[in-house]
Amino acid sequence: METSFTQPRRQSPIGVLVMFFDTIRHWARGLWPILVVWIFKFNEINKTYFLLVVAGLFLVIAIFAYLRYLNFTFFLDYENQEFVINEGVLNKSRTTVQLDKIQQVNISQSLIQRIIGVYSLDVDTAGSAKKEGKIKAISHPLALELKACLLNNERKAAAEAAAPENHQEVPAEVPPFIQISFISLLKIGITSNYIRSLGIILAFFATVWENVNNLAEHSTFDKSRIDTYIDKSLAIESIAFVIALLLSAVLVINLFRVIVRYFDYKIARQKGSLLLSFGLLNTKSTIIKPEKVQVTTVSRNYFQKKMNILELKIKQASGDEREERKSAIEIPGCNEYEKDEILKLLFGKVPEKGVMLKPNFRKLVFSIFLTIVVPLTGFFIIGTNVGPQMMQFAYLTPLYAVFFGLVHFFGFRNYRLFINDGFIIKQSGAWDIAHEIIEPMKIQAITTSQLFWHKSADIGYLTLHTAGGNLAFQLGDFTAIKAYVNLWLYRIETSDSNWM
Amino acid sequence: MASSRQSSYTKMENFTNETIDIGSLPKFEEVRFTALHPDYWKVVIIQWAVFFLIAATLLGFALFCVDDFAGFRLAASIAFLLIVVLSLFFSRIGFRKKAFAFRHHDVLFRHGVIATNTVVIPYNRVQHVALHEGLVSRYFGLAKIEIFTAGGNSSDIEIPGIQKEQAENIKQLLMGKIQKQL
Repeated sequence: METSFTQPRRQSPIGVLVMFFDTIRHWARGLWPILVVWIFKFNEINKTYFLLVVAGLFLVIAIFAYLRYLNFTFFLDYENQEFVINEGVLNKSRTTVQLDKIQQVNISQSLIQRIIGVYSLDVDTAGSAKKEGKIKAISHPLALELKACLLNNERKAAAEAAAPENHQEVPAEVPPFIQISFISLLKIGITSNYIRSLGIILAFFATVWENVNNLAEHSTFDKSRIDTYIDKSLAIESIAFVIALLLSAVLVINLFRVIVRYFDYKIARQKGSLLLSFGLLNTKSTIIKPEKVQVTTVSRNYFQKKMNILELKIKQASGDEREERKSAIEIPGCNEYEKDEILKLLFGKVPEKGVMLKPNFRKLVFSIFLTIVVPLTGFFIIGTNVGPQMMQFAYLTPLYAVFFGLVHFFGFRNYRLFINDGFIIKQSGAWDIAHEIIEPMKIQAITTSQLFWHKSADIGYLTLHTAGGNLAFQLGDFTAIKAYVNLWLYRIETSDSNWM
Repeated sequence: MASSRQSSYTKMENFTNETIDIGSLPKFEEVRFTALHPDYWKVVIIQWAVFFLIAATLLGFALFCVDDFAGFRLAASIAFLLIVVLSLFFSRIGFRKKAFAFRHHDVLFRHGVIATNTVVIPYNRVQHVALHEGLVSRYFGLAKIEIFTAGGNSSDIEIPGIQKEQAENIKQLLMGKIQKQL
């Protein structure tokens, strides 16, 4: 049956549920500090009152979700060649997408949508990085039909413009060629981003602490009780226990973050581009066009090497020249083979490491001086002159020195620049070893830099500027750097190849 | 990338691929640079003078009208003088270091105080060019050329202290080069 999209349509009625959960998610994000405080105060508040408030809140959200459902309509306006979406309860908005600007229509499903049995449909246009149009709940046959209608029009417009490469059939659902398994995500979750998760935990406790304190000032909440409780607990529990607790919290948070964010990661090939879709609660989808890729980073630490997983990060240049938005796309948990396949798709071949440039030993000396010698000297000067009570922590200083010494030593040992005809690869990092890959043709500008006291040692800095960020190499052999700069300039200036 | 590969196929007949002798490539480090116009130093001096006059007025007001600061009069004046001398000294080095060169295929700009930075932008990577005239610079007939690439702020260059006519010419030249690329 041919469905007509010329009349404004609503989403699937069951979509109210999607709206409901979506609204809850949005509100929860804004209100979580209050929720945490409630949990703290759970014993002190009136239970019936609490239940009433919660029920009331849910009712309001339900009504809101229903109104959102009622007000969400979409249709195709053939006269103006536009796809129109109307939405909003209090603030009405109307999104119109020119049909010939539509680049991609993605149909995807998040966990909630999977349970309910509906799909979401995204419309991607050229020029803008953000989602132009998104329908959150639509049945699968209808989604396919709408996709065909939207893309058919594009094909017609393209045919009128006589662009031969667009004459291909509109592909139906492309089967993914890489699918990142749940196991891989688990592996990534327990092996990466320790520092980021630690930051999240600290931020979390800081927010909770602030909220509790605020609350304490305004209510009969006994603040001193908490303080003594914390003092006592700190005295009783050993520091090792606290550290273990923190570590497990980091692991759990990492695991949750990775799974929520990257659940069901699929990569499909379409017309030479990569089509990515991922996410547990809301599915995100993006396209990577090989010609727009500027900087590709492959990173991996010791554990991940043993488990044969790695992380890929891809920075693209935005199609819009006015807003130079750099968007990094992460592909977590691929194995060696999958990485090679993706790189082949992006570059035509697997990048190889060429001639190796090493940094001068002064880089190591300088970083040790800056992060170990200077702070520790400062510590001992202040400790001996001003605050003797600071000296009771003096036993921590060798620990600090050894830790940072190791970080700098391995960081220095891994710091390399590999150059061959097709690729420039920078290797760096102490624990997570990253390889940043760029093609010489993507270089926008080159800066070389030398401090006057480095002239006799013939060492200096190199910065390669691309539309996806800079790639810098410090204290390398300056004669070699200058020779490569001349070669790259020659290559860039004699070829008419485009960087985007 | 795909399109570049295609275009190299179409040009197959006049396509050669000899080994490049890296040693014989033109060397950017041996290019003769053009210094900024001498009048630009006057512009820098005037800008600093205006800044320090305002700062000195505020400082003097604070030192002589607020009794609490009376004890610091000598120390603050010496510090102020030291800052003036150091600023002028480093500006002078910065001014002497700043230089530019326009080659056939790229533009070079050298700057820095303790470091010597050389930025090279190939013409086929230039996004747009702007001409900027400051209030003081205009009095001396000088202008600043700003060259932008897609590589973000750190790769854009600003060449100050170029005579207005020359700057116009350079802008025309660059625009011509960009047009040819498109």
